[in-house]
Amino acid sequence: MSHRVFVTGYGLITSIGNDKVENFESLSRKRAGFGELSILNTLHSRNLPSCEIKLHDHELSRLARLHHARGYTRTALLGLIALQEAIDDATLSAEELKCTGLLSATTTGGIREFEKNFRAIIDLTQHGDFVQFTDTANPGEHTERIADRVGIRSYIGTLSTACSSSANAIMQGAQLIGAGKLNRVICGGAEALSKFTINGFNSLMIIDAQHCRPFDAGRNGLNLGEGAAYLVLEGEDIVKQQKKKPVAELIGYGNANDAFHQTASSPEGTGALRAMEIALAKAEILPGQIDYINAHGTATENNDLSEGTGIKRLFGTNVPPFSSTKPFTGHTLAAAGSIEAAYCIMALQHQVMWPNLNFKEPIPELELSPIIDLVQGNSLKNVLSNSFGFGGNTSSLIFSGTR
Amino acid sequence: MTADRMTCYINGIGILAPQETSDEGVLLEDIKTYDNNRLTCITPDFKDYINPVQLRRLSRMLRIGMTSAIICLRNANLRTPDGIITATGYGFLGETEKFLSEVLERVEKQITPTHFVQGTYNALAGLIGLTTKCTGYNNTYVSKGFAFENALQDALLQLESNHNANFLVGGFDEAEDVLHAIGTKEQFFKTEKIQNTQLFNSRTQGTIQGEGSAFFTLSGRASEKAWCILGDVKLIYRPATEEDLASALENFLEANKISLDKIDGVLSGASGDVERDWLIERLEASKFSSVPLFRFKHLCGEYCTAVSFATCLGASILKKQFIPKVIRHNAIVPQSNGIKTLLIVNHYLNRNYSLILLTRHP
Amino acid sequence: MQQTIEELSQELREELIKQLNLEDILPESFDENTPLFGEGLGLDSIDSLELVVLLDRNYGLKLKDPKEGRTVFYSIRTMAEYIHQNRTQG
Repeated sequence: MSHRVFVTGYGLITSIGNDKVENFESLSRKRAGFGELSILNTLHSRNLPSCEIKLHDHELSRLARLHHARGYTRTALLGLIALQEAIDDATLSAEELKCTGLLSATTTGGIREFEKNFRAIIDLTQHGDFVQFTDTANPGEHTERIADRVGIRSYIGTLSTACSSSANAIMQGAQLIGAGKLNRVICGGAEALSKFTINGFNSLMIIDAQHCRPFDAGRNGLNLGEGAAYLVLEGEDIVKQQKKKPVAELIGYGNANDAFHQTASSPEGTGALRAMEIALAKAEILPGQIDYINAHGTATENNDLSEGTGIKRLFGTNVPPFSSTKPFTGHTLAAAGSIEAAYCIMALQHQVMWPNLNFKEPIPELELSPIIDLVQGNSLKNVLSNSFGFGGNTSSLIFSGTR
Repeated sequence: MTADRMTCYINGIGILAPQETSDEGVLLEDIKTYDNNRLTCITPDFKDYINPVQLRRLSRMLRIGMTSAIICLRNANLRTPDGIITATGYGFLGETEKFLSEVLERVEKQITPTHFVQGTYNALAGLIGLTTKCTGYNNTYVSKGFAFENALQDALLQLESNHNANFLVGGFDEAEDVLHAIGTKEQFFKTEKIQNTQLFNSRTQGTIQGEGSAFFTLSGRASEKAWCILGDVKLIYRPATEEDLASALENFLEANKISLDKIDGVLSGASGDVERDWLIERLEASKFSSVPLFRFKHLCGEYCTAVSFATCLGASILKKQFIPKVIRHNAIVPQSNGIKTLLIVNHYLNRNYSLILLTRHP
Repeated sequence: MQQTIEELSQELREELIKQLNLEDILPESFDENTPLFGEGLGLDSIDSLELVVLLDRNYGLKLKDPKEGRTVFYSIRTMAEYIHQNRTQG
């Protein structure tokens, strides 16, 4: 018997808003976070514009309600801000937090601070303020730090499966609840921009120096972004007991592997198709019951073709309305899954579907066109969210409205 | 609890460690000693496991990880698992260091991609998936001292909904230079050089650096050559007092319907760090004084996923019904009717505590 | 003195072996005309990105579009010809 899993609150911070309300406003007004970098110090601040959160770390500390932010990496700060909003949104008490789990995802952890002081950190003779970041590069560190801060103790984990990371965190949280191991898990991810990622993706030649164009015939790569988002997942028992009003239900999820190449997706979209099929099977619904797809849609030549092919194979001639929100937020890597899950839930709450910016011409092999304007007032019930990453990791989530 | 409760079997193991290992498991007959506080894996010729076209690009940790995974699959007589879950604390730090150095030295110009790609935490899980053509579930945990335990818990969840599946689960970490520098600065490691066999006699702060990669195939169906049963796993985060830890232990035993006097051995993850071992030592003294007590970190060193070495060791003990002398920490011997149940009690830096229950099969 | 195509081929061969760790996988029949990708040596897309950087670092030639690589990196010979030609023009 599998317990049903509900979302009772969520929080997020991205380059288009510091919280849910700001993000909703920006999405509704087609306001993207793309532009030159002014916070991160990099050679590429002008030639590789990205979706940067225009707040310095000390400003993030204030938003995170920290008086002393020693040892907090930018990833941890972003995570804490989003986590606190999620906790407030779900109105969780300190007692409840003690019995709550936390699953967070990141690909970089504190690499941004590590790269700044790399040589000094590993030099045994050097000391200075940077020592606060001696051991914060590793991805698991941020989870423990923010768990400590909010008082979460009962179950902690950190995931890292590239761009599908936080989707997998949400999935694992759902499975822990479904199996009765935990009643409540907060799941999501956090990612800060860094020279490491900018140069890493640039060396793979998949960054677009212009604003990205998902699913467009002329797409030329992705834009990077930073942010964090967390969903509070609760089992049906406590939702009923405490008469909570969930904002959505997580009815399906699927994790599969493309097994094609380390960094590229198969042209047939095999992994994408499998993940979506498994999610539908778990949700016990048919493809025709999906009302909207929030695609992974990074705007790389490879992903959009692969994902689009997978979508066509699954939905045939009845592809539901779909869009990628990555032109708004950039590709937030590990945080993408949870940020976009939050956008799906927002879509259900407000009965809207988000536009896919910068689209002009469909990819010839696909002839698929995403929605390009905000669509309002539909009877949106089931929403599918895709997240695909390096290592062939493909994950899909299906949320259902609770009205 | 579901009506048809799944029993999880460890059907295959594959391990590379700072001690000799083989298809027979972790037998610890001839102990390798180390004098510089860093224990490193004994490695085979990788060409026997990985094809040269793939091998050329792989970092040392990827080679070790991949090889131990292949040893495990061969041990389990399994070509393609149904799912792959890996766990690591620090991943491929060497690759990250190489990439960062290049970025900094070349001032962000003309950067090559290989080290970036090979430095991603899920690189091994992806590589195994690619090599075995496994299109199933694929996940990676990077939760420092909880990573391997999270991976085991995940595998147990997956198997509950598909008893017949075979999941490949592994934990790995490298005794890497950058990590050694970090550990030294954070006072994780002893400043005085000791021989690893003397780890628990040196009553000073700090432990010794280790590494390893241990993989297991788990399934709800026992194979003919199953090693043992993985009963349960529990994570305890930052217990403040001995009572916290002790009551977690009691709850765990109760949930698994077993009493302490039925435990035939405790594998303790004491690390030889007199400051950080205080809680586990108290637990050993208060709860395990009448139980055969074993320790293992003098043989593999300390690293985030060292508990995977203990799991291999535990599986070997249960299958071979033999306890290597070198792990015994007290004079209590198991009862004469065989070694049926082992409990692993591990900690990492006095923050991440875990309990793993292993039982004999059949 | 401008390098000949033959000299470039020899130099590239050594560079490739070093940069892509090819010592153990070179077939005996490997020469400047062996296809580097697909059927011949079996290099992949990550290798081609390495070659893009090699072209830039060692010869100052920038391939803006990775797709150009398919023709330029077909074999050591085609790489040598490309370098030889573009250096003359540059």
